Amino acid sequence: MPSALKHTLEDLLRVRRLQADAPPLRGQDRRLSPLPTGVAVVDELLGGGLARGQVSEVHGPPSAGRTSLVLALASRVTRAGALAGWVDPRDRFDPGTAAGAGLDLARLLWLRGKAGQPRVLPEAVAATGTVVGSGLFDLVVLDLAGMPAVEIQRLPGATWIRLQRMIESTPVALVLIGDAHVAHGPGGACLAVAPGPAGWSGPPGPGRLLRSLATELRAGRHMLRPVAFVRQSGV
Amino acid sequence: MYGGLHSPGPLPTPGALVDLAREFTPRVEAFGSTPVLLDLQGLGRAWPSPRALGEALLEAARRRCPEPRVALAVSRVAALLISQGREGLTVLAPGEETAALAPLPLSLLALDPDREETLRGWGLRTLGDLAALPAAGLAERLGPDAPRLRRLARGEDDAPLVATPLPQCFACTLELEWPIDGLEPLSFILARVLEPLCARLVERGRRAVSLALELALVDGSVHRRALHPAAPSSDPRTWRTLLLLDLEVHPPRDAIQALTLRAEPTPARTVQFSLLDPAQPSPERLAETMGRLHEWTSTGRGGAPVLLDTHRPGAFVMVSFAPGAFRSLGSESHAPRIALRVFRPPRPAQVSLREGMPVFVSAGGVRGAVLDLAGPWRASGDWWDVAWSREEWDVALAGGVYRIFRDRLREAWFLESELD
Repeated sequence: MPSALKHTLEDLLRVRRLQADAPPLRGQDRRLSPLPTGVAVVDELLGGGLARGQVSEVHGPPSAGRTSLVLALASRVTRAGALAGWVDPRDRFDPGTAAGAGLDLARLLWLRGKAGQPRVLPEAVAATGTVVGSGLFDLVVLDLAGMPAVEIQRLPGATWIRLQRMIESTPVALVLIGDAHVAHGPGGACLAVAPGPAGWSGPPGPGRLLRSLATELRAGRHMLRPVAFVRQSGV
Repeated sequence: MYGGLHSPGPLPTPGALVDLAREFTPRVEAFGSTPVLLDLQGLGRAWPSPRALGEALLEAARRRCPEPRVALAVSRVAALLISQGREGLTVLAPGEETAALAPLPLSLLALDPDREETLRGWGLRTLGDLAALPAAGLAERLGPDAPRLRRLARGEDDAPLVATPLPQCFACTLELEWPIDGLEPLSFILARVLEPLCARLVERGRRAVSLALELALVDGSVHRRALHPAAPSSDPRTWRTLLLLDLEVHPPRDAIQALTLRAEPTPARTVQFSLLDPAQPSPERLAETMGRLHEWTSTGRGGAPVLLDTHRPGAFVMVSFAPGAFRSLGSESHAPRIALRVFRPPRPAQVSLREGMPVFVSAGGVRGAVLDLAGPWRASGDWWDVAWSREEWDVALAGGVYRIFRDRLREAWFLESELD
């Protein structure tokens, strides 16, 4: 095939979204393709992205980059045309920064808890089960960051096993965000993030901006050297 | 053979003639409330002759309306025009149409006033006058539809009968032998009612865009619920699930002794699938999922966020989650952005200042000396409505990086969000 024609055909396939990271087309088995986060070092570490049909978790202290990483993942999912669910028992999600991260808000189902609402965590877990069980979403996020550890421990012991069983053999990826390790499936990723240095735009004083925050990430307990990536402020 | 049915006087109901005609044959074409055209093919087995059929039709019409007129002919247009032009019963043998139509006035053709005036100017008054005109040259003199009018005046059909469809009513009522109490027995009853109702919708190529449920209770009251899911559906399981979920939240206050279901039909959705676009979510499953999440969605705490066009920070509204058709937003990668984890409402903070800059922050569970900071960044707006004015700082504490702001109108500090 002449090279010009070949290039034209490749461009056409790219434009029509038949490239490798495009959403699966009708009839294609989506379970085989991982969900890339869009952060190159993380995707390389995970072998392409987060596994579908598994519970994964991203945990770390405040400002470590947990939410940024999961937002980048959700952004790629929604921009590819799939649906994402965000179960937010503490109502911490910010649509403005999500849109700035490229997330298609029209394809995001956001379930918000209410401050002071009793039993918000069990209801959020039940809603998570409903959302993952619908089979409509490629990514479901359960944001447990800031939830007191004692409340998480009060959940029935089989909670995470039940959720893992629900999404096995499905194309859904469930991601937990937490302050500390909660749970992950046998094939899911356990990403521990830690805050790195901040990047400021200049010396202290008027007009200074926070340009970036770095993140150090380890996958699993046996990883000796973390990988690092930088989150931009968008300013 | 065709039958024309007409009543020049007032009718008891607009559909009286149509209802009468449907008692004889299902193939009926209505031209308003009158006249009505019947396809009488096949009815020769029930009546020995066309005249007997015509007399039966006239007799039945006399019981419903004043001065009915009936005409039977092998030509559709002849039956229609003669039923309007002649009183009583007229039965035409094949070949008699032109002669029978000849004395009838031109007004029966419902010509536009200019055309009718032209024909009157030529001295034409009856259908026979128009039929007698030579066919050659008629189109040049009267326009392209003049040959068709001549054929109508001669009783020659120019179109087949187009049956007026039956009005569609998708409703089902069930009276119970004994009252039932509770959702579980009601679930079986709903399944029994929904299966044939949805089957009827599917037969007609329809889906239900909404469903109205009326439960007649033992205390004499009626418990009414109406469901309007995001997408029409003809799946009985989906409707049953949605109805049960709704009744869980809005239960009837007494036992149920009868129920009525009414579906509002809409043409079935036709979707042109594309090989090159991602698979879209099934509207029925989406509606069912949102129904299961009604505790979140009914309180406005479940849905899709929509940003408002304003500079006020954190302005958005929640709308129903309805993703719609896929539209590509480009496949380019975005570098990861710093996300905000917002405190709702913002936490009141005590901030110690030195030379106008924060040096210590205490707000709820966040407390510590400021290690580094950026700001102030001032913003304000909505001065014509509910004004706001704030001074923002990004502060790095030992426990994380946070955004605080000073409300310049209330002179108070707040912790807005954590940068994560």
